[in-house]
Amino acid sequence: MKYIPVVIFAMLIWSNAISAQQNRDPWSNGELMEPSVLASRISQGKANNMLILAVGPDALIKGSADIGEAHEQSNLKKLKNYLKNVPKDKEVVIYCGCCPFDRCPNVRPAFRALKEMGFKNPKLLNLPKNIKANWLDKNYPSN
Amino acid sequence: MKKIFLFFLIILFTENLFAQNNEIKAGNPAPEIALPAPDGQIITLSSLKGKLVLIDFWASWCPPCVKEQPELNALYEKQSKNVKAGKFEILGVSIDKNKENWEKAIKRFKIPWPQVSDLKFWKSPVTSDYGIEDLPFNVIVDEQGIIVAINLHGKKLEDFIDHYLDK
Repeated sequence: MKYIPVVIFAMLIWSNAISAQQNRDPWSNGELMEPSVLASRISQGKANNMLILAVGPDALIKGSADIGEAHEQSNLKKLKNYLKNVPKDKEVVIYCGCCPFDRCPNVRPAFRALKEMGFKNPKLLNLPKNIKANWLDKNYPSN
Repeated sequence: MKKIFLFFLIILFTENLFAQNNEIKAGNPAPEIALPAPDGQIITLSSLKGKLVLIDFWASWCPPCVKEQPELNALYEKQSKNVKAGKFEILGVSIDKNKENWEKAIKRFKIPWPQVSDLKFWKSPVTSDYGIEDLPFNVIVDEQGIIVAINLHGKKLEDFIDHYLDK
């Protein structure tokens, strides 16, 4: 019985931690796309029905459009303009690749913008280290 | 047959030697860097031989690297006598893509040491040469161009430089 306050306290901390995590990352695990999946779609010519947008320092992935670093307001505006007339059910994949997600200033504002604009199928390319380690070094299709 | 065997043995041995020398670790020679400064002039690491050199790999898009620049500036200021005496130098190698952002960051932090970049982001060959997986990253190279320390930051970096130059 005397453990009940401890358990409640622990649960409170746990739920806080979870909500903090959710606040930080606007994407779910299901919205992460593995680089190998995107690479094979590009190689097989099956990426034509999707939009690949670079929201970091450079558009290194083959066929991707260079929006610019999304932490800058002007580039975020550019992203929204770019997507203005795109159907909301279009598969849109964004990537940055400067650094691990916890330090990347670009993926969160860009992904949030996709959600706010009502895109039903937004994806974030899962580059846990950077575009070099998780894409270029694997010889995936590059510009 | 013996000759062929010997030939392969020699190739294996020299390849091994080569691979070991390319590895970024203390005691190995630092790979040459020959990249343009913002004004286009090529600066080489080998031109800094005779000095203790801190190679700072950074980028204007990398928040922790940018945060470190005032600390490096303080370190540079503290070592100004050694800089003037030709005993110490910092070489900033940027992994930037956008020249304007790079130059803005140099100006903003009033960085006085030489800065180079090929503006190729993670595609820059220097990132492979130095096996860089994450930024900020640094390598300290001695007067002969041999790596003496890797990825020291904050107090550890300051103490290492102080201690080395006090010798």
